[in-house]
Amino acid sequence: MNGVRKYDAVIVGAGHNGLICAAYLAKAGRKVLVLERRHQVGGATTTEEIYPGFKYTCCSYVVSLLRPWIIRDLELPKYGYEILPLEETFTPFPDGRFLLRGTDPEANRRAMAAFSPRDAEVYKRFGQEMAELGRLVKPVIDDLAPDPVSRNPKELLKLARLAKGLRGQGAPNEDTWLVGNLKMMTMSAVDFLSEWFECEQLIAPMSVSGIIGTFLGVRSPGTAYVLLHHYMGEIDGSYRAWGLPKGGTGAIADAIAASARALGVEIRLEAPVDHVLLEKGTARGVVLENGEEIRAKAVISGVDPHRTFLKLVGEKNLDPEIAQQVKRFKMRGSSGKVNLALDGLPEFTCLPGYGNHLRGDITIAPSIDYLERAYDDAKYGRFSRQPFMDVVIPSLTDPTVAPPGKHTMSIFVQYAPYNLKEGAADWPNQREAFGDAVIDTLAEYAPNIKERILHRQVLSPWDLEQIYGLTEGNIFHGELSLEQLAFLRPIAGWSRYKTPVDKLWMCASGTHPGGGIMGAPGALCARTMLEKRAV
Amino acid sequence: MATSYDAIVIGAGPNGLAAAARLAKAGKKVLILERGASPGGLSARREFHPGYAVPGILHDDALTTKKVVHKLDLEKHGLRFRAKPATYVAERNGPGLLLDADPAKAANAIAQRSRHDAEQYTLYRAFLGRIAPAIQSVLGDTPPPLTPRGLGELIDLARRGLVALKLKRHDILELARVAPMCVADFLNEKFQLPFLVEALAAPAVASTWNGPWSAGTTTNLLLRECAGGEAIAGGPAALVAALSAAVSAARVEVRRGAEVTRIIVQKGAVTGVRVASGEEIESAVVLSSADPKRTMLTMVPPGTLPVAIENEYRRFRCRGTAAKIHLALSGPLEFQATGGKLHEAIQIGGGHVDDLERAYDAIKYRQFSRQPNLEIRVPTVGDPLLAPKGHHVVSILASYAPHALEGGWTAAAKQAFGDAVMAQLEPHAPELRRFLVASEVLTPHDLETEFALTGGQLHHGEIALDQLLVMRPAPSAARYATSVPGLYLGGAGSHPGGGVRPTAGILAAEAVLAR
Amino acid sequence: MPIPSPFHERTAPLCKSLRWKDWSGYAAVCSYEVTHDREYFAFRESAGLLDVSPLFKYEVQGPDATALLSRMMTRDVSMMKVGRVMYSCWCDDRGKVVDDGTVSRLAEDHYRVTAADPSLHWIQDCGRSLNVRLEYSSARIAAAALQGPNSRRILVAGGATEVEALKFFGVTRSSLDGVSVWISRTGYTGDLGFEIWSDAKDAVKIWDALMAAGKPLGIEPAGLDALDVTRIEAGFILLGIDYFSSPKVVLEARKSTPDELGFGWMIDFDKDGRSNFIGRDTIQKERARKPAWHLVGLEVAWEELEALYSSFNLPPSLPATARRDGLPVYCDDGRQVGKATSHTWSPILKKYLVIASVIEGFAEKGTKLELEHTVEFERRKVGATVVPTPFYDPERKRKP
Repeated sequence: MNGVRKYDAVIVGAGHNGLICAAYLAKAGRKVLVLERRHQVGGATTTEEIYPGFKYTCCSYVVSLLRPWIIRDLELPKYGYEILPLEETFTPFPDGRFLLRGTDPEANRRAMAAFSPRDAEVYKRFGQEMAELGRLVKPVIDDLAPDPVSRNPKELLKLARLAKGLRGQGAPNEDTWLVGNLKMMTMSAVDFLSEWFECEQLIAPMSVSGIIGTFLGVRSPGTAYVLLHHYMGEIDGSYRAWGLPKGGTGAIADAIAASARALGVEIRLEAPVDHVLLEKGTARGVVLENGEEIRAKAVISGVDPHRTFLKLVGEKNLDPEIAQQVKRFKMRGSSGKVNLALDGLPEFTCLPGYGNHLRGDITIAPSIDYLERAYDDAKYGRFSRQPFMDVVIPSLTDPTVAPPGKHTMSIFVQYAPYNLKEGAADWPNQREAFGDAVIDTLAEYAPNIKERILHRQVLSPWDLEQIYGLTEGNIFHGELSLEQLAFLRPIAGWSRYKTPVDKLWMCASGTHPGGGIMGAPGALCARTMLEKRAV
Repeated sequence: MATSYDAIVIGAGPNGLAAAARLAKAGKKVLILERGASPGGLSARREFHPGYAVPGILHDDALTTKKVVHKLDLEKHGLRFRAKPATYVAERNGPGLLLDADPAKAANAIAQRSRHDAEQYTLYRAFLGRIAPAIQSVLGDTPPPLTPRGLGELIDLARRGLVALKLKRHDILELARVAPMCVADFLNEKFQLPFLVEALAAPAVASTWNGPWSAGTTTNLLLRECAGGEAIAGGPAALVAALSAAVSAARVEVRRGAEVTRIIVQKGAVTGVRVASGEEIESAVVLSSADPKRTMLTMVPPGTLPVAIENEYRRFRCRGTAAKIHLALSGPLEFQATGGKLHEAIQIGGGHVDDLERAYDAIKYRQFSRQPNLEIRVPTVGDPLLAPKGHHVVSILASYAPHALEGGWTAAAKQAFGDAVMAQLEPHAPELRRFLVASEVLTPHDLETEFALTGGQLHHGEIALDQLLVMRPAPSAARYATSVPGLYLGGAGSHPGGGVRPTAGILAAEAVLAR
Repeated sequence: MPIPSPFHERTAPLCKSLRWKDWSGYAAVCSYEVTHDREYFAFRESAGLLDVSPLFKYEVQGPDATALLSRMMTRDVSMMKVGRVMYSCWCDDRGKVVDDGTVSRLAEDHYRVTAADPSLHWIQDCGRSLNVRLEYSSARIAAAALQGPNSRRILVAGGATEVEALKFFGVTRSSLDGVSVWISRTGYTGDLGFEIWSDAKDAVKIWDALMAAGKPLGIEPAGLDALDVTRIEAGFILLGIDYFSSPKVVLEARKSTPDELGFGWMIDFDKDGRSNFIGRDTIQKERARKPAWHLVGLEVAWEELEALYSSFNLPPSLPATARRDGLPVYCDDGRQVGKATSHTWSPILKKYLVIASVIEGFAEKGTKLELEHTVEFERRKVGATVVPTPFYDPERKRKP
């Protein structure tokens, strides 16, 4: 076996990006091996039967941005990829009122008019403008990161075309249009939404889209453009805005893995990689924890940048400047998950009984001050005593995940800072208190929830790191803040999947275009490697 | 009977005076209308207690460049520069740190506490030095046209691009990386001394609606640190004096106590103004150095502006977040830790950048900071004539104090805030009470009323990433000419922003001359 | 889900055909019977009663109410006397049409504005810094349209004697069966007709009063299908079908100037002391040029249509209801020069009528164009001539 190059590429980590990268390389005829530490594929795209009979979508829980061209190229529906609609957004308020937004635009208008007739009218136009902005920004996520500091004329031409596209068409005085986009990139979600809307009951639940997975508050500059992501899924043509994957998000990874295997990819589970095999600074393969060496023409990392450079490569093997830049790449997990098995449905005081409001997205975000206070807690190293929560009950739409009459509930929580004041390692001591804070908060709106709980799983950022290998529990493999995006992701000048280590590539969320279940990093990495004949 | 003028300038603060001087230099007949009894606005000398004066509400942050001074021959009119005073960073239970304007001296002082930080500081200042020319070129020039029309504008854009490209690729990438960052992250990457991080961060967020953990505040920091300006001998009031002399020499007419209540627009263009007395004065050009909201939403008759443009000004955020406190002392402001040495510039914080963030948190909930961050100047150290012999005045910019305080700025609230400020200062200077002769607190509400300053916002509009350059104050007025022909905005609410510098006024005047 | 209008208690049991549609979130009847013919003929021969409550209504009151509407509307609202109604459009800053609707001056400082689309935010923006009170009165006010040659007699018989003297586009306080109402001589059928505005809680009473008074005079409840035929006959354009609201469209080409819509007569310039209305300057500049296109009426050449069907061995067949599917319009050398957006067979005129937008140069009266027409899945063309609108314009509409 020594010296024999068995594989064209070996990929560390069978997360959705790693699997997609493998599939595209295999499609081009390459021999690919994917090595996964855990007993199943998916990484944070996972469904697990933590409590017998109940399948928890442990980490991610909805999908909207999985690139339609990837779905088509890899024939994912053939392998079981199915998305069920998540149509309503339900926001209960402490005063007994609620906001329910769904698919009937007139009903939405009436619902919002109860809080502000003006906002109700403007809402539709806002959605339209966002969709338009999203449409024009979409090319950025389907392609390599633009490089504005390049002196390469081809790059500049590309940039010019992008700028032209962003300018829109027709009307004179397009300065204001471009400036509008610039404003969006720099404003806070609250400030941006406040330019359109006046009532807090609408601004608060809408602003949370800008902070998911970030260590920022809704009043923090730089959160407005993240709102756009919410609208990019909307106009995809691929099914609906946000959807629940049938079988939980693990089913997505399973579908990709099945497609990859059908294309000839080899996937080995319970094969943790210890380090990248380096010979004279070039990556020649990997070494597993059990000492086994596997060689390949190229090594691709499907894990986050810190893990890639500081663990798999090792700081001593890196140029000091690069090591410093990697260390500066901010991880800073800020979210947690609470997954529940229920023997019945929650009963919301403001809208009792069963209804469509339970089948969609339930958002606990009653006011801007509430959200800011939740963020303030995190800034100083505490989990939010009254957190923001995004709740779904997948079993109502997908009965396969729970026994009949019983339910699973997935609660995404912010904020839960990785770096507690007492240190990240104190999370095991604070985990249950954190879970209690979540349930207590939910119980303020649905008092019966506590009696319904059969089982509770609490995942802090520390747990996400321990179990899923997400450094500091950051779900996007690194903060999606302006200084860590596009040509700056993960480090300046190395955003096109190639790393400073020869023959080592990166294909996951820590590269452009970033995190979420998009698949673009994996696919674009494969494409780049093939174009550059790296494999 | 109204005579007619080539241009009317609203406001005799530094921007207004500079605009008038620039226009007059080009041969225009100019009238300045100032609502106050004397010129200067926020930069005017203020005798807040008989015998005790501060040389301006604003602190001189050395933003006025030589280039600007030369443009108006201000040295001829008595303007002198001086060395920037060192900043003493006070420390609870510690000797504090003196940051000299000279990087080498500052690094030496830091080295006493941390070798690591001293080295980093030298590198930091070197980086600032390398990017400074590019930043100064941006600050000193009219914002670029985003969508160039015609060859002239295209060349202009290319020229600016070339200046930027003079930077090494490494620095360009670094600049692109750090500009959107929050100043806490930026400084924490470099420095380990927590009170140093806080002290360097504080000026970047004072008077903004941001805290050190807010994205984009590094840009604020860079814009200040790389402004390339000089400290003015005599403070802001001296700048006002020189500009007044220049204006007078150019035979510009200045009317005081003349508040403009209406900008007269006929057939879609400016024809003059009306003042509080009812008198109407004609001119085809009106250049306002008052804040943009006030100018465009109250002086311009409602209904004149297209709705979309009116909304741009409504959205321009000008929430004041800082208060001014002035103290008259019968003795020196001596810090326990400095053993008798008097400092002119002092920073007082909690000792950690999180303390600064906590101070900011308060305004989100419409409260003032219980432990405000203090930017202090003791101008009598450099200019003893501001107070009786041996006495001193202390000028404190305290952050944060919101304009819209829950419950309003009642007398009790004002008192409580003043007490909070004193509680921050006294532990460092125990003799303070003994020397206290008088004090004055100006909340954002007071600033608004006294200076006709919307929101009490000292920079006429918040300094934030989305309210800079081409977005300041609005896309329709990014290059000083507004959508109303003949009406120009040339105050702190336009590029390059606030602080004691007359750049906006000059650039606005040049826009008038260019048309 | 659509919600019931204030008249639902009466209209629902009558809608035997179960043919409803969603009009601004309300359940609105398409036709009470399986076909709309009886309702159409009621509009033209006796009187049809139509629930128009889903219209958006706003009360603009206060000392600056006139100033606000002067700024918003292209027509000079300050010219209106109390008791008059004005039909106007309003534009954005670039002179592109946002919506059209009516403005009724109910009192010196009280106007009621109606619109097809929600417009509160627009009115609010026009009124900032002005001394006005705005009320979004849509839900509070029920509205019914009584249209047809017998409409006046029915109202008088019901107790609304004030309408006897009510001139075209006038509005008056009145009462029906003791219930206080406003009645305006306005409508969307292009015939003699009135709209009755009451408190929503009185809607059912109003309905009953009108039905009782109208029974001997041939009153029929009528739905939107019948209305659509009559409004095309009247040459009235419909927002969202024949033109699009400027803020709602993405393509610049889809926006319209008032002149392009035939609203040029609604532009009141240069009235001394009149404040600037939104879009004025751009409209004035645009007027230096010819409009890029025009909304016109077309009459299809019936003989050609018959001949076309004949060639397939079929009798001519046109859809029963008015249609809103867009059809291309060509000039004689085969180029597409426009699009038809509303078309209908007119039972009373016995003609196939079309509302279309055509580019400049093809809008002159008498111009011969061609309209696409599909027979047996084959796309063909038939001749259509540009004619003046309204197609149908009876004297009784405005006189006495």
